[in-house]
Amino acid sequence: MATIHIQSGKNSVNYQTKNVKIQSIPCKIHADCDAKVSQYFNTYVKEKKDSDSILTASFRGYPLEGKEIQLPKGYKGVILHESVRPDNDTDDRKFYCVNTFDSFTYWNWNKTPTGNDKMIKALDWIKIAEALHAPIEEE
Amino acid sequence: MEGNSVEEVEIQCISNLNTLKQYLCQQDNSENAFYFSNIPEKCKEFPCILGIDEAGRGPVLGPMVYGTALCCVNDSAQLAALECADSKALTEEKRDKLFETICGSPDLLGWGVEIISPNSICNSMLSRTKYSLNQVSMDSAIGLIRAAVKAGVNIEHIYVDTVGPPEKYQAYLLSLFPNFKITVAKKADSTYSIVSAASICAKVVRDHALSVWDFQEFKSNVKDSIGNFGSGYPGDPVTKKFLTDYCDMVFGYPMLVRFSWQTAQTALDKSAYLVEWEDEDEEPKTPAGNTAITSFFKSTSKSIVRAKHDFFIKRNLKNIVDF
Repeated sequence: MATIHIQSGKNSVNYQTKNVKIQSIPCKIHADCDAKVSQYFNTYVKEKKDSDSILTASFRGYPLEGKEIQLPKGYKGVILHESVRPDNDTDDRKFYCVNTFDSFTYWNWNKTPTGNDKMIKALDWIKIAEALHAPIEEE
Repeated sequence: MEGNSVEEVEIQCISNLNTLKQYLCQQDNSENAFYFSNIPEKCKEFPCILGIDEAGRGPVLGPMVYGTALCCVNDSAQLAALECADSKALTEEKRDKLFETICGSPDLLGWGVEIISPNSICNSMLSRTKYSLNQVSMDSAIGLIRAAVKAGVNIEHIYVDTVGPPEKYQAYLLSLFPNFKITVAKKADSTYSIVSAASICAKVVRDHALSVWDFQEFKSNVKDSIGNFGSGYPGDPVTKKFLTDYCDMVFGYPMLVRFSWQTAQTALDKSAYLVEWEDEDEEPKTPAGNTAITSFFKSTSKSIVRAKHDFFIKRNLKNIVDF
């Protein structure tokens, strides 16, 4: 199996994206490109009335409800970019880290984010993995 | 207006076109706005008629506005003297003038509008449990009636221009307001003067909401270059051009546009990136463990793959070796 390399992208890819907020929206946009998020999206992000830090926004007219999710302490989210994807399965792949984040906004379509959402629950795995991989201390 | 350095006093009372425009500039155009004038004192004492009509239901751009006007039954002659007619039959100048007459007669008439933002219309129509435009419309009319009741108007008779079949709508309104006479009719805006007055308020407010529209997504240099976006009706070439020129591949359109309209959808399908939404029901299509009985008689070379534990399925966690 091919090896995957992950490198710092400081010199290779634009680092302007540093510190931008990460938004996870409940749809798939069939594109991989820059998007005018602050113009078209952030402009309309508002706090939902009478709610506890739930946010509202719209994407292409669809109503969204969002929540800021903090990554567990000691973890970092990374956004990777691959300049050229090899055309076979055996060559090594190179990814550049273009951004890191400690929190992201998780959006649902017309549904308040709760602990029952898959994305939020997926973070449980981190704790379980820690427990599974922790060295066993003999007493 | 947002970004305007001059501190403006919040408009409490719309008394002419100028204060109307100022009021509209102060609203967040991605949200609904509700305005009700002062109620003439005699309208609280003597029986009143109340008319309701809408403007901007069909266009792909801008807000839909619901308007109401009210006056005493005994002032019908004075109302008729204003020569209000169906707003569509009047020129823009004439409508603006009549609007100022309505605003300028606080002892004769009361009026109110709900401005339903294009974003709010899309959000309703594209919500999980579809909230139709008809329902949005009826609820807006009901909201206006409730506001008049709350303000102390002595309502005797309500006249409403219909949305869909008048009988059904009239029965629905009567069930909510059994104490009033209610007439729901087609073309009520040209039959009853009070509905004409309501239709003028609605139409003038919509037109001016468009004329002062602040594109929150654009910087001022882009805003200035936008110019005219037409009537918003799908057949209008100016509107068509606007939809072509201001289409963003990712986000589609600025919030002026009603994404839920077929015209907008078709244009986006053609020129913007495809967007797929999560399925409404995420349930698996075939129940787990439902194996056709004939399968037991077939030989299979496939090795049995152990199903992932529920813990992982519920969290969308998978082993990935290729991405």
